[in-house]
Amino acid sequence: MSAALALTARRGAAGWRWAAPALLWLGRLILGLAIAAAVWEGAVLAFAIRPEYLPRLSAILATIAATPEAYVAGFLRTLLETLIGFAAGVVVGVLNGILFLRAPVLRDMLFPIFVVSQTIPVIAFGALVVLWFGNTLLAKAVIAFYLTFFPVTVNTLLGLQSVDPRQIALLRSFGASGRQLLLRLMLPAALPQIFVALRLGASLSLVGAIVGEWFGDTTGLGVILLQAMYTEQVTVMWAAILCAALLGTGFYAAVSLAERWLVFWGAEQ
Amino acid sequence: MTETPTETARLLELRGIDKTFGTVQAVRGLTLSVPAGEFVTVVGPSGCGKSTLFNMVAGLDEPDPGGVLRFKGRSCHAHELLGRVSFMPQRDLLLPWRNVIDNAIIANEIEGADRKTARARALRMLPEFGLTGFEAQYPHQLSGGMRQRVALMRTFMFERELMLLDEPFGALDALTRSMMQRWLLDVWERHRRTVLFITHDVDEAIFLGDRVLVMTARPGSVKLARPVDLPRPRSAELVTSPEFIAIKREILAAIEEESMKSFMATGMRAA
Repeated sequence: MSAALALTARRGAAGWRWAAPALLWLGRLILGLAIAAAVWEGAVLAFAIRPEYLPRLSAILATIAATPEAYVAGFLRTLLETLIGFAAGVVVGVLNGILFLRAPVLRDMLFPIFVVSQTIPVIAFGALVVLWFGNTLLAKAVIAFYLTFFPVTVNTLLGLQSVDPRQIALLRSFGASGRQLLLRLMLPAALPQIFVALRLGASLSLVGAIVGEWFGDTTGLGVILLQAMYTEQVTVMWAAILCAALLGTGFYAAVSLAERWLVFWGAEQ
Repeated sequence: MTETPTETARLLELRGIDKTFGTVQAVRGLTLSVPAGEFVTVVGPSGCGKSTLFNMVAGLDEPDPGGVLRFKGRSCHAHELLGRVSFMPQRDLLLPWRNVIDNAIIANEIEGADRKTARARALRMLPEFGLTGFEAQYPHQLSGGMRQRVALMRTFMFERELMLLDEPFGALDALTRSMMQRWLLDVWERHRRTVLFITHDVDEAIFLGDRVLVMTARPGSVKLARPVDLPRPRSAELVTSPEFIAIKREILAAIEEESMKSFMATGMRAA
């Protein structure tokens, strides 16, 4: 009885207990960012660094503020390419992992080819993809996909292979079919391992999308970056870098949050 | 309707069962039968093939050809027993992403039962398993004894005539264990399922069982089947009664003999 009461009490307080450290953490993060910004601004002024090398942060932000539409459009375009490539990479990677677990013959046949494909530098691969798909959004997504699917494949297979065989035996004794085993036991059990690859894939897919844009396009953060390089607009280049950093960090944070929400049981077992 | 009494009486029957893994013979000429409603406990030296016996009866391992395996009076293959007996392995093996209720109904879910009805039934069973108020907790929030009770509840929820319990209390401390034993008997007396129960602990085997089977050293077979004619319900003091001690002496002597054999055998192999 008292245990039950304590439980409900804990559940009620859980919201606040969770919110307080989160707010504290957010405060520290903002403080850290503010200090970094101040150091940047101050160093440029104090050492009289020429803007060709490192423009002031305020100048970069002013550049973005002057023509925000271009940056917003570029941000959204690159985000879309990244997300499509990432999503495709995750789906294909997880399916590959399941397929390789079920059919070791296919694993032995295809896995070495996958490994070889990953040793091709992404730049060389990018040129090929543009030849095949033209200057389309799809071409960029394909490069993002190419960088994502392999780690997801490897980690899914690893996660599925390390499911406790005693747990499999137990569910089999209850009469579980292969499909039930996969959905109710193996995939959830492999989730922590899969998320390791998803976090990696979040950064890699952004790299893929930006590199893809270098082969020609009209919008995107990669395009802004390349054009600024050719026209020696250092401040614009820095603005594009800031936007890319924001995109990469945001995406990584989103994946990490999803992980904390889905894999709530943590490192147990 | 037309079944003869012996067919219904013998729920499970094994005759001349062998099982070999590679070059190791785990079980040889294993013969035993379990009447419906009986609580049978199995003891024996470690590595005597108790778990092999369970894996075969649970349908996970097929015995070598030649033996007879009968369930409910019908001869069958081991794999036909998948989904027909409720099996509880040594470890609780709870799924960490499922809360207490959803862990308890996993077997029902697998057999295609409606989740809502199964959850409602599990909720009603919680008090009996001492888990009231813990339905929404996750396994990592529970103590070892509670996790074990969730695993037992899962086994009871999967309503089959035959229950296989493989050292369910092996990992618990002595005090919790003796409480769990009395509690299990209590639950069993109300549900009256046929139970096959593996243990290392001779006291536990006698205290719980209607009959104690002592297994030989590997390759395993039944060395001794000792009926336990002690009255039920059984209380904790029973363990010190002369009748109990007499049975214990007899069983310990049988185990001792087998342990010596397996000890000598491994010693010889090492030398």
